Amino acid sequence: MNSSTAQATLPKSSQPTRGRGVTARILRRAWSYTEMRVAASVFLALALLTMLGPFIIDASATKMNVTDKFLPPLFMEGGKLPHFLGTDQLGRDLLLRSLIGLRNAFAIGVVSVIGMFVIGCAIGIYAGYRGGWVDVILMRLTDVQMSIPVVILAITILGMSRPSPASVIAVLILASWPVYARVSRGVTLSERQKEYVRAAKILGASDLRIMVRHIAPNILPPIAFVAVLDIARMMIFEAIFGFIGIGIQPPTPTFGTIISSGTQYLLNAWWITIVPGVLLALALSSLNLMGGVLERARNQILQGGA
Amino acid sequence: MSNIITLPAGTSAEPLMAVRGLSVAITGTTGERQLLSDIDLTVNARSVLGIIGESGSGKTILSRALVNWVRQPLKVTSGTVRYGGLDLLTLPEAEMARLRGREIAYIGANPTSALDPTVPVGHQILEKLRTVSPQLSREAAHKRVIDTLDAVRIPSPAQRFDEYPFQFSGGMMQRALIVDALVSNPKLLIADNITQPLDVTVAAQILRLLRDLQKDFDTAVVFISSSLGIVSEIADDLIVLDRGRIVEHSPVSDLLHKPQHAYSRELIAKVPKLWSLGGTIPQPSSGEVVLDVRDVEKTYEVRDRKAIFAHRKVKAVRGVSFTVRRGENFGIIGESGCGKSTLSRLLSCLEAPNSGQILFEGQDIASLRGADLLALRRRFQLLLQDPYNAIAAHCSIGRTIAEPLLIHGLGNRNEIETKVKAVMTEVGLPETLYDQLPVGLSAGQRQRVNIARALVLEPELLILDETLSALDQVEQAKLLDLFETLQARRGITYVYISHDLAMVRRVCARIAVMYLGRIVELADNETMFERSAHPYTRALLSAVPTVEHKPYRMETYLLEGEPPDPIDIPPGCSFRTRCPFAFDRCAIDDPVRGADIGVNTSACHLRADSLPPADAASPSNGAPA
Amino acid sequence: MAFAIEFFLRRIGQGLVIVLLVAFVIFTLLRIVPGDPIRIILGPMTPASVLEETARNLGLRDPILVQFGRFVTQVASGDLGRSFIRGVQGGSTGGSQDSAGFDPESRASVAELIGTALPYSLQLAALGIVFTLLVSVPLGLAAGLRSGRWPDRLGLYVSSFLVSLPNIWVGVVLIFLLSAKTGLLPAIGYKGFAYTIIPAMVLAIELSPVLIRAISVSVAANLGETYFDVGLVRGLSRRAMIARHVLRNAAVPLFNLFGAQMIGMLLGGLFVVEYIFSYPGLGMLTINAVFQRDFPIIQAVAILASGVLVAINMLVDFASTTIDRRLKF
Repeated sequence: MNSSTAQATLPKSSQPTRGRGVTARILRRAWSYTEMRVAASVFLALALLTMLGPFIIDASATKMNVTDKFLPPLFMEGGKLPHFLGTDQLGRDLLLRSLIGLRNAFAIGVVSVIGMFVIGCAIGIYAGYRGGWVDVILMRLTDVQMSIPVVILAITILGMSRPSPASVIAVLILASWPVYARVSRGVTLSERQKEYVRAAKILGASDLRIMVRHIAPNILPPIAFVAVLDIARMMIFEAIFGFIGIGIQPPTPTFGTIISSGTQYLLNAWWITIVPGVLLALALSSLNLMGGVLERARNQILQGGA
Repeated sequence: MSNIITLPAGTSAEPLMAVRGLSVAITGTTGERQLLSDIDLTVNARSVLGIIGESGSGKTILSRALVNWVRQPLKVTSGTVRYGGLDLLTLPEAEMARLRGREIAYIGANPTSALDPTVPVGHQILEKLRTVSPQLSREAAHKRVIDTLDAVRIPSPAQRFDEYPFQFSGGMMQRALIVDALVSNPKLLIADNITQPLDVTVAAQILRLLRDLQKDFDTAVVFISSSLGIVSEIADDLIVLDRGRIVEHSPVSDLLHKPQHAYSRELIAKVPKLWSLGGTIPQPSSGEVVLDVRDVEKTYEVRDRKAIFAHRKVKAVRGVSFTVRRGENFGIIGESGCGKSTLSRLLSCLEAPNSGQILFEGQDIASLRGADLLALRRRFQLLLQDPYNAIAAHCSIGRTIAEPLLIHGLGNRNEIETKVKAVMTEVGLPETLYDQLPVGLSAGQRQRVNIARALVLEPELLILDETLSALDQVEQAKLLDLFETLQARRGITYVYISHDLAMVRRVCARIAVMYLGRIVELADNETMFERSAHPYTRALLSAVPTVEHKPYRMETYLLEGEPPDPIDIPPGCSFRTRCPFAFDRCAIDDPVRGADIGVNTSACHLRADSLPPADAASPSNGAPA
Repeated sequence: MAFAIEFFLRRIGQGLVIVLLVAFVIFTLLRIVPGDPIRIILGPMTPASVLEETARNLGLRDPILVQFGRFVTQVASGDLGRSFIRGVQGGSTGGSQDSAGFDPESRASVAELIGTALPYSLQLAALGIVFTLLVSVPLGLAAGLRSGRWPDRLGLYVSSFLVSLPNIWVGVVLIFLLSAKTGLLPAIGYKGFAYTIIPAMVLAIELSPVLIRAISVSVAANLGETYFDVGLVRGLSRRAMIARHVLRNAAVPLFNLFGAQMIGMLLGGLFVVEYIFSYPGLGMLTINAVFQRDFPIIQAVAILASGVLVAINMLVDFASTTIDRRLKF
């Protein structure tokens, strides 16, 4: 066996394995990082808060309440329970609105990432496996798609139609599937040369069977880890759309609309803008840190590190 | 281990390097594990010290420890490596750097990844030379690099100087690294398994080259190898390494003829044998023809970087014909780039030939589609080389073996399970593995899973494409026995595609030798090994690293250079550029191999009796009749 | 040489096709999403007959392919058309409401509008890239060269944190802290170079984390390659190996990242940032054009943006294949 010099010094356990074995090893490696555990705890705490928030804080807090408008957060002078983080220009509780915004944004992020992952990878695997003109056409199509900046595409479609959660998700998927198509196509190209694909072909497996049953289970888990980072990215896009006014429309709270409405009162009630942003940044940081550690663990495992 | 070492006559008593009590351990989550224990060795000036050990014996770690290249998670736990009054292991990084490349050079087993892939090879050698000898002018250094490239017989060195690592073949790259090591005139060269990735004829050249250069440059060499046949060609003294310990240290001839330690005897016994086999040589079968390959050609197109919108044709397989009879073992041998992997893809219907026919029981497989092809696949299976990548890690073993039955829709759940378990027993896998994942399986067991998966379809013809190359000798022998049993029981016909001459010698009745996309010789086993008619076959056989008496001398058949690029195949005989016996006619006239039904044929203008006679085998080897 | 010629011929050919396709996609999208530009041009009070007539005069009732063909011939002759809304004098956005009909001659030429806005955007993009490089190169290199140790962790934290900040929010916060609260820097609109600084900082905060991560991963991966260790054993110093070989090799994936991801992000960021800061560049022009259904401007900007992306990708790929000759194109 032509073991590389790097492998020669390593214990035999670093034999190349594929599939679930790798997934488990990546997860285990990622979990060995303190950062991973901290980020996961923060994220879990926020998730719990989002679910339990409406029970802890009086539900009436989301209602408009003119007497309680512009209340600062509790830690500042003039703060008032139950508004831990203050109220907005209409007297609505900021914490609760932010939590609802967070939940909506997260739902949009997860659904759109699943959508772009499935569509992108299906196209990518097909293009990489088939090769030839199918590959050329599909890849040039991704070139076209990637040559239109997300924001231009989004404002063109959303700015002119009536934005709804579904159309926001559709735009995000439309704008981002090519990334997944390219990555999965690249991996498939090298995977196609491997012996297990040849073995399956010789056994008589159909192309579809090889793609679905043999290639996909091997290449998708590592790509899926990095998709975690995209959930955060999509949440940011959702906020941007809301800010420009082409996202989910009021009165449903979204970060974009909360922040943009707060800008008018920046000088005397800065918390309307700052507080939701801090909460969003906290949630996204925990997601991104988890994604970053997963990516790192994946690279270490795939590059054959001990 | 004693410190008293017998010195070959003529070497000075002052050792160049002395290692005392060296131990290296690996630190991991489960604590420390000793990889090298208490190594003592001495390297004398101008001598060649061989170190032999199997994989896992710690020989690479030892070779790296000699240049203080020990990285996490490895760690030196005790001992010294003394060189010129200094202990290399405790030397500050800066002083070590001053010795490296100047006094002590190192060449590893992986030539293709040893240099920066984005910088031309010559430029990197120049960079090193200018670093270690800053007093040299740029012109002088440049000239010296080119001269040294020339000295290792790299063709057109001035042009090669500007080519990139990926444009070099493994053998060329290893030569370039030898240049890189010797260009600064080091006193000591550590060569770690440098012939391991190379083909036997190229390895023989490199070995010869290193031996010559060692004399010219007066360099001491530590030559580490896993092949006793190779190391015994070059070394004066040999050290035998077993699981991190030196078990024997003696001059080469003593070790070969009077091994002291049981492990040394075991090593010698494991060296592949081609001529002192004993037992019977497989005989050709007279059954009906199962596989009839007729004048098959395959050409690939690659883009040409030197011209606009141009393609060049790579002629991978150029008119290959042969027949295989039922119940026979047919061997196809050749070195890398000879077209045997392309041929294997053609034979297994993964690609179609550009022209020619592949007839399986009279039916041309290239024209089959859909259901007919699927039906053919049941009777016609291929086993691949890599036991790790050919089976999926996420499927249970039972599920893996059942996959072909599911693909072909053969039987219901219970029938499939019964069938799979039966075939598992047949190949020697315990039924208890049925529901397990392949995680803990050894290479041999994985290959058995592979075999079971192919057998479950009850094929009539099995193509074995380097199937056993990844396995050690013992495991290989067991599987060969298994194949034999299966053949007796099921009447399977095997086609072995391999570079392993010893294995082919043992099992194949008829053998085809490929060179540059052609079969240059096709003969029965005995003729091939005892009286081969083609110079290339003889060169191949002469270069096999064995420790027995060979009928062909390496000196007589040593090949020059490397096979030509399959894009620019020279006119006339394609082997003539390397053939030691080429004459005028070879450059014009391409020799043709005759029709091969049951006859031994060779594509050479020379008659077998005009080649140098084979050395008479010594009586003890007893050429089998 | 032959290689370079073939490369550019091939890629320019492919690039033209891509730009054409992008133009077609945007052109079609604009015409199938709801919102009739004529109503905005002429105002809500215009009678339906006038609307129809104007639309026909502008060719907006022809089949899309016919319209697109006309548009392409027009662009090919160097004419990007005229805005539906903006007057020749520029400036005013609202759109003059001309219920008697629509006179294209009174509208601003798209080429001129873009010509005015482009330098502002280029200035902002350039400063943003400078800031990005100032932050990410030192941090990324330190993280990559000390893989697994504290600079590496710092790189991970910084990039994870920065990438979590939505640019809209960062923009507002920076306006609040640096402009509204302290008056250190001007923010809204454009009256001088100083107005570019805060927007450029926002861009840098958006781009840096991607680059930090990419640099550190790429450098660390190359330090793990066999050629690096072998180089040290061959007698070259660590510093020489890093300066002459590691950085060179690490640049290849970075080039690709720059072409495939960073330029797209930069363009997108530019649009949002200009919108937040009312910065008079292309992004501002386009977002207003979208809200006003000003098709000619949107089409022109989309073509320009995709052209820039295609061109930069081509150059970046050429650079990578020049460094690493193993790459195909």
